[in-house]
Amino acid sequence: MPSASMLSASLSGREPVQDVALSVRDLNFHYGTHHALHGISLDFPARCVTAMIGPSGCGKSTLLRVFNKIYALYPGQRATGEVMFDGRNILDDSINLDMLRSRIGMVFQKPTPFPMSIYDNIAFGVRLHEKLNRTEMDERVQDVLTRVALWNEVRDRLNAPATGLSGGQQQRLCIARSIATRPEVLLLDEPTSALDPISTARIEELLDELKEEFTIAIVTHNMQQAARCADRVAFFYLGRLVEVDTADRIFTNPREKQTQDYITGRFG
Amino acid sequence: MTEPVISPASSSEADRAGSESGRWRPGRKALRRQMLDYVATGVSIVAGSVLLLVLVSILWTLLSRGLVGLSWATLTHRMGPPGSGGGLANAIVGSLLQTGLALLMAAPVGLMCGIYLSEYGRKGNHFASAVRFVADMLMSAPSILIGLFIYQLLVVPFGHFSGFSGAVALAVLALPLIVRTTEDMLRLVPTSMREAGAALGAARWRVILSLCLRSARKGVTTGILLALARMGGETAPLLFTSLGNQTMSTDMTRPMASLPIAIYQYAGASYEDWVQLAWTGALLVTFGVLLINITVRLSSRH
Amino acid sequence: MRMTPVLRSSHRRAGFDAVFHGLLLLCSLLVLAMLGGLILLMATGGWQAFTRFGLSFFTTVSWNPVKDTYGVLAPLLGTLVSTLIAMLIAVPMAFGTAFWLTYIASGRFASIVGTTIQLLAAVPSIIFGMWGFQTIVPFIARDVQPFLNHHFRHVPVLGSMLSGPPVGTGLVTAGIILAVMIAPFITAVMVDVFGAVPPMLRESAYGLGATRWEMMRKIVVPWSRNGMIGAIVLGMGRALGETMAVTFIIGNVTTVGWSLFAPRSTVASLIALQFPESPEGSLRLSSLMALGFILMLLSCVSLALARCLRGKRQ
Repeated sequence: MPSASMLSASLSGREPVQDVALSVRDLNFHYGTHHALHGISLDFPARCVTAMIGPSGCGKSTLLRVFNKIYALYPGQRATGEVMFDGRNILDDSINLDMLRSRIGMVFQKPTPFPMSIYDNIAFGVRLHEKLNRTEMDERVQDVLTRVALWNEVRDRLNAPATGLSGGQQQRLCIARSIATRPEVLLLDEPTSALDPISTARIEELLDELKEEFTIAIVTHNMQQAARCADRVAFFYLGRLVEVDTADRIFTNPREKQTQDYITGRFG
Repeated sequence: MTEPVISPASSSEADRAGSESGRWRPGRKALRRQMLDYVATGVSIVAGSVLLLVLVSILWTLLSRGLVGLSWATLTHRMGPPGSGGGLANAIVGSLLQTGLALLMAAPVGLMCGIYLSEYGRKGNHFASAVRFVADMLMSAPSILIGLFIYQLLVVPFGHFSGFSGAVALAVLALPLIVRTTEDMLRLVPTSMREAGAALGAARWRVILSLCLRSARKGVTTGILLALARMGGETAPLLFTSLGNQTMSTDMTRPMASLPIAIYQYAGASYEDWVQLAWTGALLVTFGVLLINITVRLSSRH
Repeated sequence: MRMTPVLRSSHRRAGFDAVFHGLLLLCSLLVLAMLGGLILLMATGGWQAFTRFGLSFFTTVSWNPVKDTYGVLAPLLGTLVSTLIAMLIAVPMAFGTAFWLTYIASGRFASIVGTTIQLLAAVPSIIFGMWGFQTIVPFIARDVQPFLNHHFRHVPVLGSMLSGPPVGTGLVTAGIILAVMIAPFITAVMVDVFGAVPPMLRESAYGLGATRWEMMRKIVVPWSRNGMIGAIVLGMGRALGETMAVTFIIGNVTTVGWSLFAPRSTVASLIALQFPESPEGSLRLSSLMALGFILMLLSCVSLALARCLRGKRQ
């Protein structure tokens, strides 16, 4: 299987010929007059977990919000540079936002179940893009709920409101909702920061399975989390990319002093 | 049926960031959704534009019909028989007197009641929730019923219409508005302000009046001014209370003229100059009311 | 027993506080008494009519001062139908405008447009009446009615609803004016309600590839359903009791019929017009008071309904 060999190549730290899902070149981002990201260049290898770490306000979440152009909802926010995805620069105005977002899914910091049933939460995104009959939809719902290890917990109450689930369950539902539209990339913005340790552990396990199929970019505050589940780690500071490398290297032998200081807890 | 758009992520071996796959092309369903979005957006913009257009049309009608009649004589002469060159002076004076008196009555009571609701009527106080509910009911009560109410209360017992009863009717109209904005504005004052005042040994009434009310004064004034604007244009409650008067009168115990009533009486008249006066009066009332609204909204934004 | 100065001053302070509290209570009681008085005086004023006519008060069409018999069916129907027409126009208009202002137009522009539309709500109702009489009534009479009379005359039910003497006044005209009067108000409440939808929920919908309209229809609308209905009912309450604008354009004829374009009357307009000719103590005035009482009930019921629906979500 090609993906497995590439994964090991990337883990070994050499620079192999590698599927790159997202390729960022010289990206700058502005909130009005505030210059939030400075000349970021970074590749996200396909079917890998890339973690973005750094102190609050370093721009890691901002970068994530560029990838599905959710920032475009807000006037005054603009990105310049190049983010190549599937042969196109997604920063181009000609990019169809709905298509882009159906291909690059996002999970937010806090669980955001929609005010509808568990079943409809999953079906919501699918119905936007595909026309499935009842059986196919049932299968899709069961499939994604199984993959996020939620099926056994909710199979008897699929029609109950999703807001009745626990926080951890809600977040897994949101992940299921995102993968139900079969995206290629999954963006996770501190997905466990609002959860208890047990729910966090389950989501981390889940990431390990999901990366077989999806390219995952995760923003986290939690360095143990980055060490546990990321293949590659990018460290940001004050809107600049300081260093990016395999997780092993970043946490054992970083090149930059700033990275060293941050991971050993000297600031941040 | 599967369309190219929604086929599952393919694990093509080509460099995916480099070469373009078919998944960028929107399928029929995607195009349909896009169209629907455009249509909904377009319809919404049209709906909003219609409302804007109505405002423009109203202002245009008022200017084109009313501006011709606006002269010094209109503002200084009192109403008179058709063809006598009458103006609106007594109506303007009557309106000012009645709304002024109404404000003097409604503002203190409304302030007090608003203070009560915000400072003493927090959660669990059933009396306060009842007052709040009643204030809301008064606010949405048809204004003509307030006229009927004051007619029964003040006109029938005293045996005649009066400027005073008109002012009371307007005050009843303004009261709930003042109550609710005062309460809302006082609620925005942080609890820490009250605690800080109390910690300095100030009595509760002093904390409320000189700390809370002072820091909320801008919002409270806004509420009172908006209530004033509302009263200035009201016609229905005055029909049965101050009735209207052709002569210049400042006696609050007698029937009294007012701009809205004058407009109402003249608008349907068959004399050219009376109709003209109605439009000029309408222009004055509307621009007065809008001026207060615009000033208040602009100043409260900063 | 002698008190120390400190204690005495704190006593006085407590005294002031009690007086202040009492004053506030008194003002609040005054507000309560006002509504109580309003309903009571309306009920006693209408008592004569209610006892005289009984239930037939509600089923009698004729409002006949000559024979001194009065029925509220015609104005009541007029109020209900004109309000219904107003709601049919105002609700989609307000919904679209609120959608525009909240999610389509960008910040500064949206706030300017929003403020301008709110100015429309501040225009006195008598002005709406004059404007409607000046612009809408001739338009309906000259352009709409001849067209409808020509094309729908022979259609069975629709024909009788849409035809009528081309005078321009009537239920549809009143409905249109009422709609533009209450739409800014409903819009303002809807903008508030839509603005309260958590941004993350909206971003999640967009994140799944939803278009703006899909986000609106499938996330915002279900989330804010109760608030929206509350806004609509509040707007309805205003339309029910509107007097001056309607008086100018309803035509003021106490009849009942299928045509939506023929002159009719509403409860509020009838009160405004008949009052000057109704001597104190007469059955006619009592009937007007009874009408007022019914109108007050309608208004109270719609407000209570709006409160229930809004309270549910909080």
